[in-house]
Amino acid sequence: MEQTAKPKKTLHLKIILITVLAVFLPYILGLLVHPTPMLYFFAAIVSAILSAVTLFWILKPLGILIKSTRDFSDGKLNLRTDIRSGDEFEDVGNSFNLMADKLSKTIQTLESDRAIAISEKNKFNEILSSIIDGIIALDSNKNVIFLNKASEELINYREAEVRGKPIDQIIHLFSGTDEILPKTYCMTSFNQTAKLIGKEGKQTKVNLTTSQVGGTVQTNMSCILTLHDLSNEEELEQMKLDFVSMASHELKTPLTNIVGYLSVFLNENKNSVSKESFDLLNKAFTAAQQLQTLIANLLNVNKIEREQLSVSPEPVDYFVILSKTVEDLRSQANQKGIVLVLIPPTQNLPKVLADPLRLGEVITNLLSNAINYTSPGGKVEIATEVFPTELKTAISDTGVGIPQEALPHLFSKFFRVSNQLQKTSKGTGLGLYIAKSIIEKLHGKIWVESEVGKGSKFSFTLPLIIQSKGILDHDKFVSEALQSGTLNY
Amino acid sequence: MGPTPKKILLVEDEDFIRELYTRQLTKAGFAVKSAIDGQSGLDTLKTEQFDLLLLDIMLPGMNGLQLLREFKTQNPNSPMITILLTNLGQEAVIKEGFELGAQAYLIKASYTPDQVVNEVKNALFGNQPPPNPTAAQ
Repeated sequence: MEQTAKPKKTLHLKIILITVLAVFLPYILGLLVHPTPMLYFFAAIVSAILSAVTLFWILKPLGILIKSTRDFSDGKLNLRTDIRSGDEFEDVGNSFNLMADKLSKTIQTLESDRAIAISEKNKFNEILSSIIDGIIALDSNKNVIFLNKASEELINYREAEVRGKPIDQIIHLFSGTDEILPKTYCMTSFNQTAKLIGKEGKQTKVNLTTSQVGGTVQTNMSCILTLHDLSNEEELEQMKLDFVSMASHELKTPLTNIVGYLSVFLNENKNSVSKESFDLLNKAFTAAQQLQTLIANLLNVNKIEREQLSVSPEPVDYFVILSKTVEDLRSQANQKGIVLVLIPPTQNLPKVLADPLRLGEVITNLLSNAINYTSPGGKVEIATEVFPTELKTAISDTGVGIPQEALPHLFSKFFRVSNQLQKTSKGTGLGLYIAKSIIEKLHGKIWVESEVGKGSKFSFTLPLIIQSKGILDHDKFVSEALQSGTLNY
Repeated sequence: MGPTPKKILLVEDEDFIRELYTRQLTKAGFAVKSAIDGQSGLDTLKTEQFDLLLLDIMLPGMNGLQLLREFKTQNPNSPMITILLTNLGQEAVIKEGFELGAQAYLIKASYTPDQVVNEVKNALFGNQPPPNPTAAQ
């Protein structure tokens, strides 16, 4: 390196030369000859000119250095000086060149680092904007610090509009009618289906996942919201529901005819056809009725899933409905040799708030199940019990019972107990699911206790109408239903 | 049954149902006329008096409720009994029918023709209120 070159120390010699030229030249002239004042003056001028020229000659590299420094700082990074004055200025020039080399190298490194950083950032942006799920990053004050393209589309805002604004002023998320996470976005990580409402009320059904981020001080990031658009799934689900609904309705009419004609034929020809023929047709009749039940159940499930299962609660005389339904099923029980016992209540049952039609469906379903799963000679018992705010009905049988592991799933859609019971049962796995939906819509509870081999006991409750103002005020459901006569959910 | 049979008008667009109900009601001693849509039903009601109307709700053209509304507007004091014939899942429509003066309703899929005849007899002769329709089992 040039650094090793020996430092030059000729500048002071040059200054001595100037001094000699400027001061001693006229003086020596005076010693040698006796100049006239005119000559002396002339000599002084000559020496001044010589001094000045020498001075300019000495200082010339300084000008080059100043200019080079300026040009370098203006970005001419390749500029180098070429001072060969042989003095300290040449050293300074070399040092300048050395500095310029190092600086331009550093700058080049920085620029290439910057280019890499930019390309990395672009890569991340491209990845984030290519993700089809909406991603929103929040800082520790729940202000938006980042939105990807998908979330811009979901919430109908551009990133520039919302950056730095509190998330709860930008979007709202509802689960049913409850707003979720109004103030506590990201307090805990969770995953939920929600209705997203963005700019100008734009609504989208989304699956929301939140995750907490251990943000560093620099990023100040605290939470990531991921919004998965469920519109397509929703549309497919809707198409499925529409199809099931349409198919069921279309099947119903011809099936009603089959059942109607068969029932008339069987009634009129009980004695005129052979027992064998009668049995054959009777089986066809039973099968057609089962198909009717299946279709009715499918339609009910369809309604539950569309959230259209309407329940019109009104004050009803419960025992009338209960005894009517029991009587309707008595022949079915008798045919199978099962005793059906409706235990008379010890007191007059208070009125309950229920939908008579739907309630009939629930009781019928529980009773048919009890009869189906009980062997001939068994017993099905229906008991009622009054509690301060509710009426409990229990239907117990001496049937096959339900295995312990099946109990938690019993009220799920399409669930059927899978064991030897299946051979004898005719269920669709929908009845209990529907019963539970109806009872819950009526603000009651339904549950089961069972032991394999001993039988099952299904119980449900219904809210009582108590003419006590306190309770009426307290129970919005009761008071609303009473006020409006019938309340449609 | 008395010497003059009770007159029933059945308005039902579905051929098999109409035929079957007509047959059973006739066998039970009623004088049955039928119409296949709302407009012809209303026309029949204008020319003749009936004791009971069995009215399907879903009809081509003028539906059952429109027919009933039209008839009640023209004959507000008619003593004719109306029973609605419905399908599952028409609770809202049934309520509207009751407001228009229908006395009862039957869910077609849940009633055998003979049960329909019984309901008709109950409505015309019996004092007991029509029982709750039995839900599908």
